[in-house]
Amino acid sequence: MSAAIAARIARRELRGGLKGFRIFLACIALGVAAIAAVGSVRVAISEGLTREGAAILGGDAEMQFTYRFATEEERAWMAATALEVSEIVDFRSMAVVDRGDVVERGLTQVKGVDSLYPLYGTVTLDPAIPLEEALATRDLPGAVMQQVLMDRMGLSPGDTFRLGTQEFELRAALVTEPDSAGGGFGLGPRTIVTTEGLNGSGLITTGTLFETGYRMRLPDGAVLDDVKAEAEALFRDNGMRWRDSRNGAPGVARFVDRIGAFLVLVGLAGLAVGGVGVSAAVRAYLDGKMHVIATLKTLGAEGRTIFLVYFFQIGVLTVIGVTLGLMLGAILPLLFAPLIEARLPIPAAFGVHPGPLAEAGLYGVLTALIFTLWPLARTEEVRAAALFRDVTGGAKGLPRGIYLIALGVLAAMLIGGAAWLSGIPTLALISAGGIVGALGLLMLSAFLVRRISRRLSRAKAVRGKTALRLALGSVGGPGGEATSVVLSLGLGLTVLAAVGQIDSNLRNSIANELPEVAPSYFFIDIQNDQLPGFLERAEGDPLVNQVDTAPMLRGIITRINGQPAREVAGDHWTLRGDRGVTYSTAPRDGAIITQGEWWAEDYAGPPVVSFAEEEALELGLTLGDKITVNILGRDITAEIVNFQVIDFSNAGINFIMTLNPAALAGAPHTHIATVYAEEAAEAPLLRDLATSYPNITAVRVRDAIARVADALAGLAAATSYGAAATLVTGFVVLIGAAAAGERARVFEAAVLKTLGAARGRILLSFALRSAILGAAAGIVAIFAGALAGWGVMTFVMEATYRFEPVSAIAIVIGGALATLIAGLSFALRPLSIRPAGILRAQD
Amino acid sequence: MTAPVLTLQDTKLTLDGNAGRVDILHGISLEVPKGETLGLIGPSGSGKSSLLMLMGGLERATGGSIHALGHDLTAMNEDALARFRREHMGIVFQSFHLIPTMTALENVATPLELAGKPDAFERAEEELRAVGLGARMDHYPSQMSGGEQQRVALARAAAPRPEILLADEPTGNLDGATGEAIMDVLFGLRDKHGSTLILVTHSPELAARCDRVVRLRDGRVDADEARRAAE
Repeated sequence: MSAAIAARIARRELRGGLKGFRIFLACIALGVAAIAAVGSVRVAISEGLTREGAAILGGDAEMQFTYRFATEEERAWMAATALEVSEIVDFRSMAVVDRGDVVERGLTQVKGVDSLYPLYGTVTLDPAIPLEEALATRDLPGAVMQQVLMDRMGLSPGDTFRLGTQEFELRAALVTEPDSAGGGFGLGPRTIVTTEGLNGSGLITTGTLFETGYRMRLPDGAVLDDVKAEAEALFRDNGMRWRDSRNGAPGVARFVDRIGAFLVLVGLAGLAVGGVGVSAAVRAYLDGKMHVIATLKTLGAEGRTIFLVYFFQIGVLTVIGVTLGLMLGAILPLLFAPLIEARLPIPAAFGVHPGPLAEAGLYGVLTALIFTLWPLARTEEVRAAALFRDVTGGAKGLPRGIYLIALGVLAAMLIGGAAWLSGIPTLALISAGGIVGALGLLMLSAFLVRRISRRLSRAKAVRGKTALRLALGSVGGPGGEATSVVLSLGLGLTVLAAVGQIDSNLRNSIANELPEVAPSYFFIDIQNDQLPGFLERAEGDPLVNQVDTAPMLRGIITRINGQPAREVAGDHWTLRGDRGVTYSTAPRDGAIITQGEWWAEDYAGPPVVSFAEEEALELGLTLGDKITVNILGRDITAEIVNFQVIDFSNAGINFIMTLNPAALAGAPHTHIATVYAEEAAEAPLLRDLATSYPNITAVRVRDAIARVADALAGLAAATSYGAAATLVTGFVVLIGAAAAGERARVFEAAVLKTLGAARGRILLSFALRSAILGAAAGIVAIFAGALAGWGVMTFVMEATYRFEPVSAIAIVIGGALATLIAGLSFALRPLSIRPAGILRAQD
Repeated sequence: MTAPVLTLQDTKLTLDGNAGRVDILHGISLEVPKGETLGLIGPSGSGKSSLLMLMGGLERATGGSIHALGHDLTAMNEDALARFRREHMGIVFQSFHLIPTMTALENVATPLELAGKPDAFERAEEELRAVGLGARMDHYPSQMSGGEQQRVALARAAAPRPEILLADEPTGNLDGATGEAIMDVLFGLRDKHGSTLILVTHSPELAARCDRVVRLRDGRVDADEARRAAE
């Protein structure tokens, strides 16, 4: 009964319009829109990956091998299983253009293909000729290359270039390569040639670094799980890696999932910022309704009826806000689809996806409920006596227990939902804890600022400084906007400061730390017989400071103590593909052995291995454990006899596994080298080595770092977009707080003018109070943001954290300025109104 | 003697303000018989409105007791007080306190709806016609004059046929002629429904129309005079 009456009264109340709720709607809509948009893009990419899985992978399924082609047995199985099998070879090499006086060299990722390539999707070339024609052998075998490498090397269709010892004729620019996203992170632009054409290059020999992939077109009705199970049972222990169209680009999928989840969390922080605004808007609205509530009580309405009246109103507004947000969140990705697609290596299926919209809607509704329940609960406590004297409901202390329980349940639902739906529960829980902690700190800060301001406003020191005293009095006085401004601005700035700290730390770790210690070049594929000559040239150069070399093989960890490795250690990165393996009689110079002993120089017993300490810890390995590594199809089981510290951040030669030499005796292999040289020595060194040993590939570390930095810049840009949504929400909340305080400022300005205060002095007082609140919020934001930045860098990125003062200070100054601008823009109207009208209306 | 509808025994009120505790009422004892018209007068700050609030259960006494129609108001919680008012009391304010988002008709119907009356709107219409606002039913408070708003407030207070009508300076915000007209309506309603009327006023003319006048000073009863016999 009371619900029906409450609904009727609520409907009548809503006739007053949404004027007081613009901020409420904006906060909810913005937060929901940001989350819905991020979620929609994430799903669009995932669906694109699924839909185009076969094209991205290059087949319904693929068997991959490292260092080798498939064996007869493997080929026979594939031929029996698939309708068609297409073979590709993938490796890094140097493209060389010899113009006599000038020799251009460019690192490229070469793909050797057969006549069936591509099984799915199409290759687009410029000029638009068929791939078969472009790669056909005329005088020379043909090739296509990405435009960026053509530009770098000054090549046009019709020109020739060399890969290893084989000349190729460039026939067209490679515009799109359907399976480009499946291969993971390439260090150079793509060149496609026929595998046959590579025969004379000397680049694909036993021991050189290449990968082969066998893409299969399976018969209709083939069950991928069954085919996979059969292939793995037969060939996994031979080093075969399986991928199929359900997960054509696992790297991209994982990256998109992670970044998407991270952005949803940033979006949730934005929603929390909005929540503060929502709470403030509801408080302001209910304050304005105090007399209506008291009147209803006078007329006999019970507390529950009153609660329901306003609960229904807020419910309607929440539905409107969430709907607006969902519309915006669904439309924005569609509008920006061409822009987003242009930056993606894969086709995305843009459209309206109900899943992420429902998730965003759920977050919106829960946030609105959490942040409005407290002020709504207070309506029960409004006493009818409010009609007689100016009481603000006597709302002190906690609301009734039932509301606190409801709040707890709602908060648990929101945090639990975020943890579950994001797929990164730990980070979600840490973020939630961070937001709650930041809110707590900000409430404490607001309380202290009010207390200190109240004290100071009565201090002798500020007597005569009217503007300051008024500002302090206003901040410290009852019913001020201090708490809501400090909370909303502070939370917004905290999120921004955290993102700023993470961003700066990431950029710094790339820009500053790596190049200081990194080598100039990595050389790969150095044949055994080339090593002495290579070392002679490199070490003989006075500008070369250091040359390190190591034998290089690649292998897959297949078993740990006889059990399949993945069953023992799950999806650890060291188990995902093949890893570099080396051998050595002695530890490398400066190696730190943390447990166990290195083997004797002449050790010739069963295979033993030195394992990277940190990875061993993560895999749960201990000394004495046995690991089986498949190298070139051969299983080698070695006992772990020591752990050593491997620091990947120095960009030097690092292997997680070093075996005793006898264990790998006879295995064909090449060498890897790092050369630390003065910049002036780099070009001549490369020229000489590449001329003498055309099969050797040089990777310029600076270029590689630039590519990694580019990829991370994309990540930083994405987090910036997320932060921007939070910033906009924060600003809206700020405007809301300033607008909510306008009525009080109008009256205050009128009284002050009556008492003889000039407008300048009133304005100064308004500015000072904004500055005080902005500074209070900013200081907490620096502290909480730094703490969050430290947490993310240390536990999520597993990198070192350094406080970045420039970013932090810029954010705080920005915050103080934003408060000032918002505050002042809402101070101008009060200043321009003549006092008489205001004061008469107050009577 | 008629049984009292309101009995106050040594009723005290102390409030916590920004400046500390303030004693508003210092032990008021009073009986109001059924059907009486009682005027509460006194200078500003003497505690008239506070006393009326206590009688209406809008404020909680900090000492003594208040019985209304046999119920101990000081023992009731907020919701019980709300239910008591809905069934037995009508209250009129100086500032009208109409709900701005509701039409005149809806304002008057609200207490009837809250009391679960199925004919709330029919009775509200009747009540508005009785105060001369038959033509203004669909108007919002902002579209009406002060006098009209107060008449709506009177209709709203009288619609549930309360046994007790409380009015806090009902003509305080109105000009003389309008105030006079409002008092005619108020007394007319009281006569029509036989309610007990307690009103706070500064106006000697208005006080003169009451059966009994209680003068307050500094939170105490300064004088208690019967003007005419209760009917």
